[in-house]
Amino acid sequence: MTLLDMREITKVYPGVRANDNVSFSLNQGEVHALVGENGAGKTTLMKILYGLQKPDSGMICLKGKAISIKNPRDAINHGIGMVHQHFMLVPPFTVLENIILGKETHRAGVLRMEEPAKEAEKIMQKNGLIVDLNERVEDIPVGLQQRVEILKILYRGAEILVFDEPTAVLTPQEVDELFKTLKKMKKQGKGIIFISHKLDEVLAIADRITVIRRGKVVKTLKCEEATKPLIAELMVGKPVFMEVEKKPSSPGKVILRIKNLSRTSERGHKVLTDINLTVREGEIYGIAGVEGNGQSELVQAIAEHVKLESGEILIEEENILDWDVRTRRENGMGHIPEDRHKYGLLLPFTLADNLVLGQHHRPPFVKGFQIVDTPEIRKFARATIQSYDIRVPSELTPANALSGGNQQKAIVAREMRFEPKLLLAAQPTRGVDVGATEFIYKQLTTARDKGKAVLLVSADLDEILTLSDRIGVIFKGKIIKEFTQAEATREEIGLYMTGEQESA
Amino acid sequence: MNISILLDFALKGLEMSAPIAFAALGAVFSEKSGVINIALEGFMIVTAFTVVWGSIAFQSIWMGLLFALIAGILMSLIHAVATITFRVDQIVSGVAINILAIGVGRFLSQRIFAQETQSAINPYLFPTFHGINSFAFALIPIAFISWFVLYKTVFGLRLRTVGENPEAADTLGINVYLLRYAGVMISGVMCGFAAATLYPSRWINGMTGGRGFIALAAMIFGRWHPIGALFAAMLFGYADTFRIMFETKIPIPSQFVQMLPYVLAIVVLAGMVGKAHAPAADGKPYEMGEE
Repeated sequence: MTLLDMREITKVYPGVRANDNVSFSLNQGEVHALVGENGAGKTTLMKILYGLQKPDSGMICLKGKAISIKNPRDAINHGIGMVHQHFMLVPPFTVLENIILGKETHRAGVLRMEEPAKEAEKIMQKNGLIVDLNERVEDIPVGLQQRVEILKILYRGAEILVFDEPTAVLTPQEVDELFKTLKKMKKQGKGIIFISHKLDEVLAIADRITVIRRGKVVKTLKCEEATKPLIAELMVGKPVFMEVEKKPSSPGKVILRIKNLSRTSERGHKVLTDINLTVREGEIYGIAGVEGNGQSELVQAIAEHVKLESGEILIEEENILDWDVRTRRENGMGHIPEDRHKYGLLLPFTLADNLVLGQHHRPPFVKGFQIVDTPEIRKFARATIQSYDIRVPSELTPANALSGGNQQKAIVAREMRFEPKLLLAAQPTRGVDVGATEFIYKQLTTARDKGKAVLLVSADLDEILTLSDRIGVIFKGKIIKEFTQAEATREEIGLYMTGEQESA
Repeated sequence: MNISILLDFALKGLEMSAPIAFAALGAVFSEKSGVINIALEGFMIVTAFTVVWGSIAFQSIWMGLLFALIAGILMSLIHAVATITFRVDQIVSGVAINILAIGVGRFLSQRIFAQETQSAINPYLFPTFHGINSFAFALIPIAFISWFVLYKTVFGLRLRTVGENPEAADTLGINVYLLRYAGVMISGVMCGFAAATLYPSRWINGMTGGRGFIALAAMIFGRWHPIGALFAAMLFGYADTFRIMFETKIPIPSQFVQMLPYVLAIVVLAGMVGKAHAPAADGKPYEMGEE
């Protein structure tokens, strides 16, 4: 039975047709995936469904009846719930408080907690979503926080659940758990809209797949007739080779050498223990691991001037521990940071300014006594935009007006343009569309072939397997196993990532 | 005799703490909803005037209180409209209201009492208890009611949500603007209470003496919690009482003793840096989804 039918939805923003005559339907007990590049219009369509945006034309039918959704409250009342990409939780509140928010049980305005707690327990059991209701949300891991989001929606009795990139923040194990939950909800007859970039996941979970490009529906496929290359092609409008063509590596001398590195967090927890690794010229060393096992701290220790408990970091056999960030960069370190908004870009600044960051104080970008040479910067930026295919109206566009993929391309371009010896790439394709991902993969392999040492950190195991020549698995702050590309298998790495093989 | 001095100190201290504590409670409501309110001082200047004027005009302190509450709400509406509806920077709006209030106080005093710097004497006061304004006792129940409202009611839960994550509230169909208006207006009401405990026998230009700002310090020291704010305000109130009662009796130059509450405020706040946890969306204007 058709649960939801969105017909001929059109939404125009100044200059962009975000949704152009989009029709989308959802059946009971179905997972319908919505895929498309960043900016293709998926989010706009879902915002319309959830009452956060008003369509210019078109209609929404629920079980055959036309409805109007003016705000999220209407959507909730119609049984539509959304797990947002950025969780809509209140961190200092307890899990239970977050679940009941907006649909509280009360007597004369005074909160009642027992009945909702029982109700929530019931929903948790039914869907296999177990969380401690009395924990504060800020104290629980991301995977559990997502469960709270789902519980929140189920608590409101939603029949249609929208998941906006739900796996972006999850570990492989958490993804499996999520998929189990989705299947349970499917069996209960709920309709699920699943938005994702990750085609493997889409193929694994979806019954139907709708591909959307530049605001238009390109095609709706049944799962059986869909293949990864086909979806990718529909998404970007040209064939994409997700398998990166790579020559065998020919590593040279050691560029980065880490010796017995240990680090303690501010709170006194040991975050890195006795890390030893080397990255050579012309190789990509991938660090695989479930997020939060010390990857961020390791990259930070290499890129920034932070206090370590013990150990050494050497670049071309020279100890860099006393070097500040500028010295490190000037001596050939490039860094694609994991959080591009926080550390990668100055969002309100122009793209041109962002492209010279870190070199902005050196000729040719300054002349005389540290006077900024704007024409030179713009010239450099235009050339970079062209050669790195950054899609932007002008080099003077502020960085926050770029799509995620283009922002990431800009960072990659900046870090590559200055020819580093060592490139640190942390989650280089997180939240980036297929086209940009392919581009970034190509850049990383090119860097390798040009003899640079690349340290790749990624939560996406496929990315690690696709790109790396050697792989180290990090677990609880230790590199517990190293593989060469030839001997690495997904399954075995997975076992080490979860600590199953820790003692082996 | 020692007992009577002690009782005196306890009661006088409560009276001195009350205006600071009421204003601090108001600040808690405003900031929990996500609106920084440095205009408390300005609110108090005006409410302190209206409590005196209302009492004289209608020959009842209760009418004075009513007018103080109305004036508090009106003042708070200026802040609410500016910061919530028009998303003016909350600090700028607060500063402007504080400056405005000084003028409003003097202007009204000039028009009504033909004196710019002080009003006529108001003989209609709350009954006294051992020489202190008995309305000060209302502080304790109101502080606990504030706690109850914030932490045990639907309204309180939603108010705190709006101050922590307005976007989440919006997606759950909670009206962010309405709750923020409520938070700011409660701070106006609290400043009305504050005025009723602040020498309602006469309005004098400058009589608030920075208590609105000390109240802000008390709120931060009290970690944005009503009971915390109450105790922090009492710390300041009792420090001030100590100064008044004992400055002539101890061999320290009186200037140093007079500094006590202010030094305390600075020390306390400096010590709090990094530990205090303001509501996450405090000070950030919010734009509700399209409509």
